[in-house]
Amino acid sequence: MKITVDTNLCEVHGDCVVVAPDFFDIGEDDEVVQVLDAEPGEEHRATVVQAAKMCPVAAIRIEG
Amino acid sequence: MTTTTAPEIKIFDYDTYAEGDPTTFGLPLEQYRHLRDEEPCYLQEFDDPMLIDRAWVVSRNEDIWEVDRNTELYAADRGYVNIWQVVPIDPKNGGMPAMLTTDGERHRAQRQVLAKGFTPGFVRKLEGKFRQYAKDVVDDALEKGTFNFVHTIAHNMPMEALGDVLGVPQEDRAKFFGWVDKFAAPFDTRITASFDEVMEAIGNLMVYSEELAELKRANPADDVMSRLVASGEGGDPLMSPEEIMGNVALLASGAAESTRTAMSHGMHELMRNPEAMAWVRERKDNIPNTLIQEMVRIASPFTHLVRTATRDHELHGKQVKEGDIVAMLFAAGNFDERAFDRPEVFQPDRIENPHVSFGRGPHKCLGQHVASLEMKILFEELFQRTSSIEPAGPISYVRDAYSRGVYELPVTITPA
Ligand code: HEM
Ligand code: SF4
Repeated sequence: MKITVDTNLCEVHGDCVVVAPDFFDIGEDDEVVQVLDAEPGEEHRATVVQAAKMCPVAAIRIEG
Repeated sequence: MTTTTAPEIKIFDYDTYAEGDPTTFGLPLEQYRHLRDEEPCYLQEFDDPMLIDRAWVVSRNEDIWEVDRNTELYAADRGYVNIWQVVPIDPKNGGMPAMLTTDGERHRAQRQVLAKGFTPGFVRKLEGKFRQYAKDVVDDALEKGTFNFVHTIAHNMPMEALGDVLGVPQEDRAKFFGWVDKFAAPFDTRITASFDEVMEAIGNLMVYSEELAELKRANPADDVMSRLVASGEGGDPLMSPEEIMGNVALLASGAAESTRTAMSHGMHELMRNPEAMAWVRERKDNIPNTLIQEMVRIASPFTHLVRTATRDHELHGKQVKEGDIVAMLFAAGNFDERAFDRPEVFQPDRIENPHVSFGRGPHKCLGQHVASLEMKILFEELFQRTSSIEPAGPISYVRDAYSRGVYELPVTITPA
């Protein structure tokens, strides 16, 4: 499983950070969200899929 | 098999909400269910000079997600915000442009100016200040013992938080809060005697926003007003003077009343559900976000918002034409069995909670993390310092079909 964020779309809504703080973060000077762990283990699939679903601008893609 | 007769649909009548049933969150849940099941694209016609003429109403959770996210088909920048004819942030009807009434690149640009002041991390820095407001509010409440929760507890904190976020100096806050209070319920004569009063408050606020802009240009600080008046790299202002005014009006009308409403409906549900109350009490040192989001869901502080169709299309068998208004009935989408497990039950530990009270698309509430933090801290403080919170009379609601304010929630608290 691989997480990618379309940085042209991300508007730092922060919904993904609330759902999956272990995988997404927005630092003080960040223009777009940072992916903390782009290749999480299979056991985190539900959380990561939920984060992608909650993104208001559908910027998060999950492959594999 | 039972046959049920269709309920009369009065989802936009003031009295439906003013006289709402406290055992169904004050909401016409039967009407909502009928719409979702039988008329998922329902044509509502109005006959009132203060309101728009007609709107297609979508009520299923999934359809609200679709309308809110598909800004290409459902535009926010073609006039109207809700069912009212006149809204201060509607540039097509005499108002000023704001984030919520702009789409595409210009929306993105405005949002970018402010977004950094609203991320979860930035918002956490406000915790200390919020904690102090919560302490002051609970001090005052403990002294009173029995009081109207809406005024004594739920009012002050969101107002001060808005003052902080925007950067309103302490000495201006009383008058600023006075204007903000006037927009909360423009049609409830117990709160605003006439619509003229609302217009006057908006006028005063607009004049004040220019004064505040001047102040922040001269003395920039780490607040939203300073971001609004800042210049970009080329030296050009990031926002036009109209956008500055529009966004101040948006914040003034969207931030405080909504949070107060969510806190008040949430408190009411806890008092109706002893198990939920006990559950929260056990977690009073770190109140889970699931409780806060469940409160925001059942409160549905804004019943709806509207968009404009940008081309002819079919929706659930109805022919929606370009220029038609499409209303997202958030309150109905928050009780959709298709999206929630037992939606009519208040569940403080609800994990799957795709509520639409903050919206769901690019316009999704910029203040969602601020509002959630305010609520968390206020309830932590309240539970830590009391041993019981009991009703002291019946709840009553504001007379409005857009904003779901609570008018009175009498409670008695006992110190810890
Ligand atoms: C429980 C409290 C609140 C509720 C229920 C609420 C609800 C909403 C809703 C429904 C929208 C429109 C979403 C859409 O069209 O998809 C919105 C937008 C917005 N809200 Fe809130 N809000 C709350 C608190 C706040 C607070 C505390 C602030 C600021 C401090 C705030 C600032 C905004 C702004 C600036 C927008 C416009 C965003 C845009 O158009 O991009 N709100 N809010
Ligand atoms: S939810 Fe979407 S827009 Fe928001 S920070 Fe995450 S990726 Fe960006």
